[in-house]
Amino acid sequence: MTKTAITNKIRRLRFDHGEMTQQELAERVGVTRQTVNAIEAGKYSPSLEVAFRIAVAFGVGIEEVFAFENGDPPGSKS
Amino acid sequence: MSFREKSAWVTLIAILLVSLLFFTHGPRVFAGRVGAWELHLVAICIAAFLVIEVVAHVVLYWRNPKDARTPKDEREQLADLKATRLAAYVFVLGSFVAILASVHAPNAAIVGFVVLAAFVIAEVVNYAARIIYYRRGF
Repeated sequence: MTKTAITNKIRRLRFDHGEMTQQELAERVGVTRQTVNAIEAGKYSPSLEVAFRIAVAFGVGIEEVFAFENGDPPGSKS
Repeated sequence: MSFREKSAWVTLIAILLVSLLFFTHGPRVFAGRVGAWELHLVAICIAAFLVIEVVAHVVLYWRNPKDARTPKDEREQLADLKATRLAAYVFVLGSFVAILASVHAPNAAIVGFVVLAAFVIAEVVNYAARIIYYRRGF
């Protein structure tokens, strides 16, 4: 379906963490593998809690995992 | 395919099979012939639905207990809510049809039949939408 306005670096972070599988990340975060796949593909924006859990699973800040596509929220005046 | 998606498929197929069994006897209801046989048919359909659901879910659990024990996550809950909302619209529409049918129906059984049909169609929409939402997102 439609992609969200938020991009993420989950694929890259999984690679950096010893090719962590989506299933392993899902178990750490407490969601299903399908949900990790949807988040990674930009098809689903997770709740703040899940976003933080993902960041914690990688040991980085949330802003290192998620960001707006062009740096600013859609419709904002810069 | 996740356990929830498999479970939704099982329920969708069970609803379709049981409703096929029930609604093939629709003409008898339209003719106003509602008796012991129709009541027995309802009991048989409910029993068949429960048996299909229980057996299929036991098999699904047995094949992958870890997946089955995983609680619904936020995306699955949202998919279920969106699908249920869609089904509610269908049921409301079906209820209006039942009200219209009550004006012109030659017997009360037809109104009940239409309400039941609306419920079944709403549930088919509910589980079909869940499968689509689980698979493709929303």
